[in-house]
This record gives sequence, structure tokens and C-alpha cells, in this order.
Amino acid sequence: MSGKQTSPSPALWGAFLLGGAGVLAAFALVPRERFWANWVLWFVLMATLGFGSLFIVALEHLVNARWSVAIRRIPERIATLLIPVVPVGLVALGAVPVLYPGARPEAAHHKILAGKAFWLGTPFFSARTVIALALGLLGLYLLVRGSLAQDQSRDPAFNLRARKFAPAYMAIFALVTTLLAFDWISGLTPEWYSDIFGVYLFAGSFLCALSVSSLWILSLKGEGRLEGVRGDHLYNLGGFIFAFTVFWAYIGFAQYMLMWYANMPEEVIWYKIRLQGAWHVLTVLLAAVHFVIPFFLLVTRDAKGEPKNLRRAAVLMLGAHLLDMYWLVFPNLGGRPLFSWPELSFALCFGGGSLLWMRASMSRGEDMPVGDPFLREGLEFRL
Amino acid sequence: MQVDAATLPGDLPERLREPALTEGLVTAGGLDDQVLAFPETRPPKQWYIALAITLSALGIGLGCIGYTFFKGIGAWGNNSPVFWAFDIINFVFWIGIGHAGTLISAILFLFRKRWRNAIARFAEAMTIFAVLCAVIFPLIHVGRPWLAFWLFPYPNQRAIWTNFRSPLLWDVFAVNTYFSVSAMFWYLGLIPDIASMRDRTTSKVRKVIYTALSLGWRGAASHWRHYEKAYLLLAGLATGLVLSVHSVVSFDFATSVVPGWHMTIFPPYFVAGAIFAGFAMVVIVMVVVRESMQLKNLITTRHLEVMNKVILGMACLMGYSYFMEGFTAWYSMNEYLHHGFKNIISGTYGWAGWLTISCNILIPQLLWFRRCRTSYFWMILVAIAVTVGMWFERFVIIVISLHQDFLPSAWRVYKPTVYDFGILLGTFGLFFTLVLIFARVLPVIATTEVKGILPGAQPEHGGHHG
Amino acid sequence: MAETFAVLGLFDSADALAKAIPGVRDRKLGRLEAYTPYPIHGIDEALGLRRSPLGGMVLVMGILGALTAFGFQYWISAVDYPIVTGGKAPWSWEAFIPIMFEVTVLFATFTAGLGMLFLLNKLPFFGHPVLQSKAISAITRDRFALALEAEGATLDPAACEAALRAAGAREIEVVPAPERAPFVTSDFVLRSLGGIFLACAGAGVLMYWAVKLFPVLPPMSYMQNQPRLNAFKPSAFFKDGFGMRAPAPGTVARGHLPLGAATQEEAAGLANPLPRTREVFEMGKAAYHNRCEVCHGALGKGQGSLTAAYGAKPANLQAQQFRDYPDGKIYWAVTKGKNQMPAHDADLSETQRWAVVHYVRALQRAQNATDADLQQAVRR
Repeated sequence: MSGKQTSPSPALWGAFLLGGAGVLAAFALVPRERFWANWVLWFVLMATLGFGSLFIVALEHLVNARWSVAIRRIPERIATLLIPVVPVGLVALGAVPVLYPGARPEAAHHKILAGKAFWLGTPFFSARTVIALALGLLGLYLLVRGSLAQDQSRDPAFNLRARKFAPAYMAIFALVTTLLAFDWISGLTPEWYSDIFGVYLFAGSFLCALSVSSLWILSLKGEGRLEGVRGDHLYNLGGFIFAFTVFWAYIGFAQYMLMWYANMPEEVIWYKIRLQGAWHVLTVLLAAVHFVIPFFLLVTRDAKGEPKNLRRAAVLMLGAHLLDMYWLVFPNLGGRPLFSWPELSFALCFGGGSLLWMRASMSRGEDMPVGDPFLREGLEFRL
Repeated sequence: MQVDAATLPGDLPERLREPALTEGLVTAGGLDDQVLAFPETRPPKQWYIALAITLSALGIGLGCIGYTFFKGIGAWGNNSPVFWAFDIINFVFWIGIGHAGTLISAILFLFRKRWRNAIARFAEAMTIFAVLCAVIFPLIHVGRPWLAFWLFPYPNQRAIWTNFRSPLLWDVFAVNTYFSVSAMFWYLGLIPDIASMRDRTTSKVRKVIYTALSLGWRGAASHWRHYEKAYLLLAGLATGLVLSVHSVVSFDFATSVVPGWHMTIFPPYFVAGAIFAGFAMVVIVMVVVRESMQLKNLITTRHLEVMNKVILGMACLMGYSYFMEGFTAWYSMNEYLHHGFKNIISGTYGWAGWLTISCNILIPQLLWFRRCRTSYFWMILVAIAVTVGMWFERFVIIVISLHQDFLPSAWRVYKPTVYDFGILLGTFGLFFTLVLIFARVLPVIATTEVKGILPGAQPEHGGHHG
Repeated sequence: MAETFAVLGLFDSADALAKAIPGVRDRKLGRLEAYTPYPIHGIDEALGLRRSPLGGMVLVMGILGALTAFGFQYWISAVDYPIVTGGKAPWSWEAFIPIMFEVTVLFATFTAGLGMLFLLNKLPFFGHPVLQSKAISAITRDRFALALEAEGATLDPAACEAALRAAGAREIEVVPAPERAPFVTSDFVLRSLGGIFLACAGAGVLMYWAVKLFPVLPPMSYMQNQPRLNAFKPSAFFKDGFGMRAPAPGTVARGHLPLGAATQEEAAGLANPLPRTREVFEMGKAAYHNRCEVCHGALGKGQGSLTAAYGAKPANLQAQQFRDYPDGKIYWAVTKGKNQMPAHDADLSETQRWAVVHYVRALQRAQNATDADLQQAVRR
């Protein structure tokens, strides 16, 4: 029957509440820029995780994948994170007049920013974010709620509906990821632009969702749930993580190399500040943990499906995505990398909160989409 | 949670069931009799007519190349500031056509999309032929093709080395690697098929040729395990390669500071465009092959429909890329980018820009309709539109960006000459000549791979997976 | 006596083959092998085949390819031929990545393809007994053969046949071992290799002549003979009929200011403007090595490596006459040349010439050192 009731987790609640207190203290004590940079970081991180998980689900419907039916419920549950992302995102709008130069009054006199003041200004910026969050909820409603309902109804009509909606979700996902990348990250330096930036965030988003899904799958398997999920399924997850670390490196390198080669001042400044002092160390570290180490961790065939190794790689990928977001947002504050109690509090509060939410969501519906007519094929999947 | 198999939904409802990969009764032996028989029979009259046409086109192309050698590159329309024109457009176009073959043979293999098996062989062959057509252009464009080996870093008395910081040299390595890997992949797949042909043929000459080509393949299980591993590894490597090759081609443009060329989205966008154009070409050729060689039972409507879906998906990716290009041009608030983008949709070559957008983005949207995905008329219409559109996309990128550079006094409208068109026609002639010869000489369908996915081809899942 | 190489049992389906393997294997009658038209999944373990080591080989060769390409590009661009092009420093790792990737793939692919064919599967091999069997044309078509092969020892054909029949084989074929050891020679291989070698040699000769002749034949040569002005060729373009233009009167090249002295005696008064620093001596030494040493010798004694060949008598710079020369007169000789000695003003800049003068002074002093010099050197 339905998954176990989640046991209360005092440690997570403690971390969440302690972090929450820290966040409140940070609001009162640290400079506004630093507070909001933390908030934006965690908003983007949670949003990429939620939208990326929904992308895994939609991808299955789009290409009629079979193997992933057996594990689909996990990304579906993680995608419910898009519900708490809504308040987090709405509060994050408070960062717009503080952190985003394009929304500040000075922008009207700036040669470049004045031309796109309408786009960068608070009203339209907020409207876009609200639309993005609403689209996330719509995707959640159509893909996840329908799938949960199918557990009882066993109605294959859902598969047909989901298959029809999947291409639309892909369009939504492309739009939202691009908006997140352009508005919330590249908007921090509005003179700078790179049209690959949405694809870059997509790679990180998909990787993050894959890693978190893998971790939950392994953790549930550790509890004796998800019994039909075998090494063959894990191998595919590992294979996807492997492929997309390479994809991420490809996109990241292409963007860097093209800017380095053309050497145009308005472009290279973005990398210049990330290649100075302690930021340089973080940049090299990012390349190592986001690409080199996971690449060699997952390169052989056995390594991809081996649970211990997959867990190691997934934890590393998740950390790498966090570092990636930090590396995208924080250098714009100027100065050295900041890491102290405010950052830690945010990590405890938002990280702990997300974990609590996902933990609770792990009892939504059955552990597998038992009403899906393709589940049998998904369980029978062999490499 | 215990998943109880008995509670799972059993047979798929009719609406969700996928059509089989083959139509009618196909057996392994019947497959050989159908596919491997082509090289053993004499080609029909239509084949000779088609060959005559393609050879004439090839002849025209060779004539134009000869004239170019006689006269020099001045025979072409290229001139300052449009130093790159048809030569590079055609190069990028043909390299792109090749990418579909690698996608089908490698990427879809990794995703275990088994419908690829029936069309992989032909698509791979098209890859190799397309790369051959592509390399002609940079070779002539260097001006002295007989000195093209200078592009390779070899120790020489002049004590000079090639410039590894130039994207054009990266191209040399990328295209050569691409050709070698594609050829290797193709040949590896052919070996078991040629072994089948060797054991069928009654002609002594053929027997010797096939024996040599199949390297004495005998289908031993101890060989198959290495073979399958090699095929899997090659597929993985070719997947990375196919991303890199067109990315490197895009670096030729994107590393520069020319407005309209320096776009960070170029690498993935070029790859998507290449696959897009390649699939369109595969659809055109497969329709002809399927009809003329009576392969309808192996290349089914489902194959064509899936290929059309891929084309549709790629069209949407192209739409995203075009949109991002336009958006960034505006977002940059850079007057040069604004000007460059305005040139695409208006001005002397505005028609080319709109043609590109209509052919690549708008017309393929027809494929949302199942009727269009399964009807020859509509799919050929879309495929031709995409082929034309993708050629013009490269025209837009290269010629429009170059013809008005930073120096208004140097602006010039580019006009191709008859020799430019002649050489382009010649490469089409070369491509289809090779396709025609291939279709009669080697197995057009990877019989070994199709045999492996026929119903009942594999043992029931016994306890070997533990 | 014709020994048995293998006994083949033919099956109609992959399923039958897979089911037959365990029973036959347990009888341990010989080495078990299957011959199939396409790969059958899941029979490797049953046949006792280990997993292919190809993945490891490819990984190693791929890494080797990456290191080779990166090292090669680094050595060429930053060490052997360091030139700044396009504003990119000789050492620009970003620019080496694309080729590094391509070469990695190339190495890995060739290892996977050729390693599989030649190393692991030991192909080409045309003399294998199974290729001579009657069953092979069924095997490469739609039948599945389970083979018991002689494993060093002899095979008992009757027992094998019984075992295979019991396992459900439809047909049995006994494949005899070839008369000669087939693993060593095969006329076909030798003939083919010889043919390939001859063809390659012929093609090579043809290519050589094609490459030699092709470019100089018209019309190819037209591309080389483009309209242009050669420096020493006549030209109808200018009134005087010369292709080359003389510089405007009074033109002075950088680093080549006129001497200001018409004769060597007049030049005696010129003073060496350069300080006597290590850098200047190094510069003078380099210039002396390149320009002076072949005639005047490494020590300036007038016995260089070219002296005998040309029968000239270069000045012995260690002679008293030249040790007494003022700097200006040596400088004048370097610049304008003297007797058979050519002028060097075109080859050496003004600075280099003065540096040579310093170096000649150093040579003279070194060859005629006094006790005072020695003490000075020791004190240092």
C-alpha cells in the first residue's frame, strides 16, 4: 500500500528553525545586498530543482521512455517543491530594487540600460517572475496531479493527455529556464549578455534534478521501498548524470572560450572578476566538481549503476550545482567570496526546509505510478 | 513497497500500443533474401537514368572546379568584404547533412531507440558522402589545394608549425576525425553483413572481395561480445564527436568579433541545425529508397513518422535559437548588433532571412499534424523546405554578416557567379552518385541489427540477470 | 588421420541455443563456442566468456590521446615556435581544448575499432575451419550453432554429437581440423597482403608524380602565376621600366643612421656609445658568432672555418696593429667592409655593430691578459 508515514525528523526541523532565525538575524544585521544575494541564490536553486524534476517527468512522456516509468514518482514528488518556490520567489522580488541595477533609478541615465529599462524595470520583471511561477504550478497540476490520480483510477487516458501536454511543458521549461537565467542571474550584470545562458542553466537544472532524484531513489531503496528498481535503472540515471556533466562542461567551456577568444571588454569583465583572487580558486574548483571528478567517477560501465558510487556522484553534483549558483550570483557583490553565518543560516533554512518538504512529499501517492500501463515494461527494463 | 505484478495493468490498451518495427512477416532469412539480394542482381533501367543525371551534375561541378583552377578564386563571386561565401556556406551545409547519420547511428543507439536499426546504415553512408562533399570546398578555397597538406602539423625544412590557436585548424582536426570515426563506425557495422553476403554469393570474384572485406568474420560469440562493446563505445564517442564537430565549425564564426557571428549560442545551435538539415535529407532519401527498392516492410510509416517528429523537435530548437539571437541582439543594446539583425529581416537580403525563418520554423510546424507526418507529399514538402532553409540560414549568417562590416565604405552587395552554383550542383551530383552506387553495392539496411530486434530474436529473459 | 576441430550443432532459434548451453557445458567435452548471425544477449555468461576488456583499453588510449594532443600543441605553440597570433599568447590552453578533444576521440575510436578487430578478435583470419564448414552460410543467415571445439586435446566426435543432439540440435556437422596448421599461413592472406602492398607502392609512386607534376602543369600553374610585380623583373607600369622602386632620396632606415665619416681615418674619432655591460657583450658575442666568426675565427685570430675554402686572408684581430686601432676604425670596417670583407650595415644594426666592437676588444684583452687582469679577476 501507500508509502510509509514519514517519521518526524527533529534534526531537520531544528536545522530549519535555527536557519530561519539566522535568516531573520541576517535581515536585520548584514547589508541588504548580501541578504538578498543569498535569497536569490536559494530561490534559483530551488526553482531549477523543481522545474528540472518536472522536466524529467515531461521528457519521459515526450519520448515515450519506458525505463523511467518505474522511478517517475520520485521526480514527480520532488517537483512539488514548485509550491514552496512560489512564496520564496515572490519574496525574492524584494531583491529587485536592491540587487538589480537595471531596476534602480540610476538606470534611466545609463547608456545601455536606459534602452531596455522597460524590460529590466521592477513591474515587468515581477510580472515575468509571477508568470514563470504560475506556469510551474500549471505543469505540476497537469503532469503530477494527473499521475497521482491515476494510481486510483488506472485510467490510461492520463498517458495520452500527458503525452499531448509534454511538448508544451518543454516550451514552458525553455521559457522559464531562460527567464530565470536572464532575469535573475544575468540581470545582476545587465550590461553583460550571453545568448547561451539559458542552456547553461538548463544543464545545471537537469543535473541537479537527476542527482536529487537519484539520492531519493537510493534512500528509499535503503528503506526497502522501490523494490522493482534495479541496477539497470540506476545505470540509466548514472548515464544521464554522466552525459550531462559533459554537456554542462561543453556549454560552459563554449561560452568561456568564445568570450575569451573575442576578448570584448563588455563580455570578458564577467569572467575577469571570476578569475581573480579567491574567485579564481572557486572557478577551478567548480570545473573540478561539476565536470572532472564526476566524469571520472562515472566513466566506466560498472560505476554508473553501482549504488554507492552513484550516491557519491549525486552528492557531488548537488554540491557542484550549489557552488555553480554561488559562483553565478555572489561575485557580483564585489570583493572576496563571502561565506559566514548568514550564508550558513540560509543553507540551513532553505536546504533544511526543502529537505523537509521533499521528505513529506515522499508519502504522496504510491512509490511507483501503479496505474500507469507502462509500469510493467518499466520494471522489466533490461540494459 | 511491494509491487505486486498481479495488480499491475496487464496488456496495453489499444491506443497506447506502438506499431511494430516491421510490417508483415519478416524472418532473418527473408531479410537476407530481400536486402542482400540487391548487390547480386542487375540494377533496373531507372537506376541507370538516375545515375546519368547525377553524373551529369557531377560533371558540371568538376567543370566549374576546373575553371576555378584555371582562372583562380576570382571566378567566384567572393570579394571584399564578403571573403567567405558559397564555399563556406556549402561546407557548413554538407557537414551538417552528415550529422543526422551520426545522430541516428550513435545517439539513438545509446537511447536504445530500436527503430534506428533499419535506417542507420543508409544514414551513416550519407554521413560519409556528405563529409566528402564538404571537404571539397575548403580545399578549393585555400587557393592551392595541392598544398593543403600544409594544414597538418608535420616537421618540415621551413621550420614552421601550424597555428593551433586558429579555429580553422581546429576544423581540420574536427573534420578529419569526423570522417575517420564515421567511416570506422560504418565499416564495423558492415562487417557481419558482408560476411552474410560472402556466404550467400555464388560468384567467385564477389566471394574473394567479400571475404577480404569481412576479414573472415565468423559470428563467434566470443567475437560478438567484443564487437558489441566496441559498437557501444564507438556510439558514445561519436555522440561527443557529433557535438564537437559542428561546434568547432561554429567556432570559425563565433570566435570573431563580427556582429552576427559572435554569439555564444552558436555551438549548440549549429549542432541542432545540422541534425535538423540532416534528418530532412534522410527523409527525402529514405522515401525514395523505400519506394524504389520495395523496402516498405522494413522502413515502415512509423519510421518516417518518428523521423518527422525529430525534425519537428529540431525545428522548435531552431526557433528557440533564432528567438534568442534576436532577443540578445536587442537586449545587448549594441548598435552594431541591432544593425546586423535588421539586415536579416530587411535590406538587400531581407528575403533570405525571411525565407530561412519560414522554411526552418514555420513550415515544419505542419508536422504537428499526424496526417502531415505520414503523408509523402507533406513530409517531402517539409524536408525540401528544411533543406533549402538550412542552406539559406548559412547564407544569412555568412553573407549578411559580412557584406556590411564595421567600415561602411567597404560595404558591398555579394553576387554569386555561375561557377558558384555549378560547384554546388556538382556536390549534389557527387552525393547522389555515391548514394546510388552504395544502394546497389552494399546492404542498404543493417540486416544484422534488424535481425537482432525481430520478434523472438532474443532468448526469453532467463535468470541470467540474477 | 584428419582430426576433428569442432562439432557444430545447429539450432533454429536463439532461445533454443540459450537453453541448450548449460546442459552441453556441464558435460565438459571441449571448449564451448557459439556461432550466431547476430549477438545473442545473455549467453556470454553461460558460455563462460569474460567481459570485454575493451572499455579499459579505450579509456587508457583516450587519456593518452588527450595528453598527446595537449602536449604536442603546448610544445609547438609555446616552446618550439612561440609566436603571438591574433593577440593570443603562445600558451593559451583554451585554444588547445578543441583539438585535444578531437584527438582523444580519434585515439579512442581507433582503439575501439581496430583493437576489437585485430587485437581481441584476431581478425583478419581467413583460414578458420568453421569458415570452411557447410554450416557457415546458415550461421551468417538465420541459424545458431553451438560448437564444441578441440581444446588442445582431441575431441570425441561421437560423444559431442550425442550431447548436442540431447540438447536439441537439429543438425550436426563435424568440422575437420585443417591439414596444415591454419593459424600460421594462409595463401590468401599472403596474396592479399602482397597485392595490397603492390597497390600501395604503385599508388604511392603515382601520387608522388601527381603531386610533383600536377601543380606545374597549366592550368594549375595559372593559380601560382598570378599577376604581380617581382622585384627584379621589368615592369611596364613605371616609366623607367623597373619593377622595383628606389627609396626617396635621403631615406634613412631605422637603426641605420649614416656613418658621418667618409674614410676609416675620419672614423677614428668616433666613440663607442654603448656601456660595457653583460647584455652588450652578449649581443656582441651573438653578432660576432653569426657574422664574423666564419672568417676571423672564434678568437679573432684570422683563422675561421671559411678561410681555407676561399683562399682569403682575413685580418688577425689579435695583431698589434688592430689592438692599437681606435674603436671607431673597427666600427668603420664592420660597417663599410674592407678589402675582401663585405659591408655589414645591412645585416647588423648600429647597436649590434658597436656591440661587436666591444666584443672584439674583449677578445683582444682576453688573449693578451696581464697579471693585473688576473688579479682583478681573482678579486671579483
